[in-house]
Amino acid sequence: MSDQQHDDGEQAPFRSGFNAAYAGRRAECDGGAPVPGTHFAGRQDFAGTLTGDYRDFGDFPWRWYLMTSLTVKPANYPYEAVWCDEGNLFLLD
Amino acid sequence: MSDPLHTPLCEKLGIEYPIVAFTHCKDVAVAVINAGGFAVLGEAMHTPDHIAGDIKWIRDRVGGKPFGIDLVLPSAAPEEKTVDELMAMIPAEQRAFERSIMKKYDVPAPKEAPDLYTWGGLDQKRALNQLEVVFDERVPVFASGLGSPAFILDRAHQLGMQVWGLVGKPRQARKQVEAGVDVIIAQGYDAAGHTGNIGTFSIVPQVVDIARGTKTSVIAAGGVTTGRHLAAALALGADGVWTGSLWLASRESDLNQPLKERLIEAETEDAVFSDCISGYTMRTTRSPWHDEWMSPEAPPVLKPPLQMMLSSDYIQASLDYQRKDLMTEAAGQGIHYVTSMKPAKKILSDLVEEALDVFDRFADSDD
Repeated sequence: MSDQQHDDGEQAPFRSGFNAAYAGRRAECDGGAPVPGTHFAGRQDFAGTLTGDYRDFGDFPWRWYLMTSLTVKPANYPYEAVWCDEGNLFLLD
Repeated sequence: MSDPLHTPLCEKLGIEYPIVAFTHCKDVAVAVINAGGFAVLGEAMHTPDHIAGDIKWIRDRVGGKPFGIDLVLPSAAPEEKTVDELMAMIPAEQRAFERSIMKKYDVPAPKEAPDLYTWGGLDQKRALNQLEVVFDERVPVFASGLGSPAFILDRAHQLGMQVWGLVGKPRQARKQVEAGVDVIIAQGYDAAGHTGNIGTFSIVPQVVDIARGTKTSVIAAGGVTTGRHLAAALALGADGVWTGSLWLASRESDLNQPLKERLIEAETEDAVFSDCISGYTMRTTRSPWHDEWMSPEAPPVLKPPLQMMLSSDYIQASLDYQRKDLMTEAAGQGIHYVTSMKPAKKILSDLVEEALDVFDRFADSDD
């Protein structure tokens, strides 16, 4: 597996990259997030196809993959793509 | 018989009882810690400065005993918008329905704009800023209430911190156990807030099986409100319990009096699983807001955070004007057993005593 890193510029809070080994692979994302400013949060399930694009946040890094062509998403989710934390990503292929 | 309540979790944390109180109130946290349990303070909604202040406040009152801080790490994120852009996205139909509810139940405008309006859009950077405080303060335990904390393990362990992860599915537990997370909180459907779809009695033993033979401890969450639940969790193989709803109406809790009364009055069926508060399905106590949005005439619920922006005036006003009839709070199905406003120390001792009674009953039956 080889990664290529690309800088998005000094202002971006993340570093973009591409993982060819993940491109085109189907996956499920056990997603969710807190509701900002409240003590509420929620879970959301997604399934789709990874593009291979990722973003690394922080020095750890905290890697997020882009999933498109969603075949599973919440009923009220208006988008066709979602960024998913690698720790909650499960490859199907 | 050796003490059935002295579990490996007690050894891991240096505590007397394997009972973890998850709370948003630091007074509750301190009371439980000083009574021999453990407490994790929920800080997802707070700024880094606020979190740092709370950590110092707790440290000043627990005499070196360990405690935890919980953040809700996101695990999925769409594109970001500003608050103004999000407000503009609320459709007229849903806005009109919200106005009709406010009018029908005579809900005044809140005294101040809800915090949601000023917090801004969700992003990973905010979570990282919150995490930096936790690292700077070397909090003994960091707990992630949603997303996997695996990415911070190396840094946290280098600082002498433990890392805990709350899961709603066995596969989430497997991934975190393999990464080396110190404690997995196996949360069942009975729980308050953002639960998964698997019942407590189903997820806890599965996660115990996954963690067997590793250094990861498992604690049970979701509906734990009595000593019988504690004993049952230990019988399932967990090393302790994670409790939340149990503390909401405690004497130390900073929830207002009418809301505590509302929670004491609530039954299991009142802790409903709905997306009408935030756009995420989560378990909260039933209110007129729920009843209206669950009616056939209601328009579609909006995606988060738009639905939360729609409900926040109602929620804030119910608290500002102490309208018990309107109030709602995240609470689990165990709310049936929250029946009075006891001091946290008494809640803990009652839990311990009842659990020991269960174990004594089984020991006596062998005689």
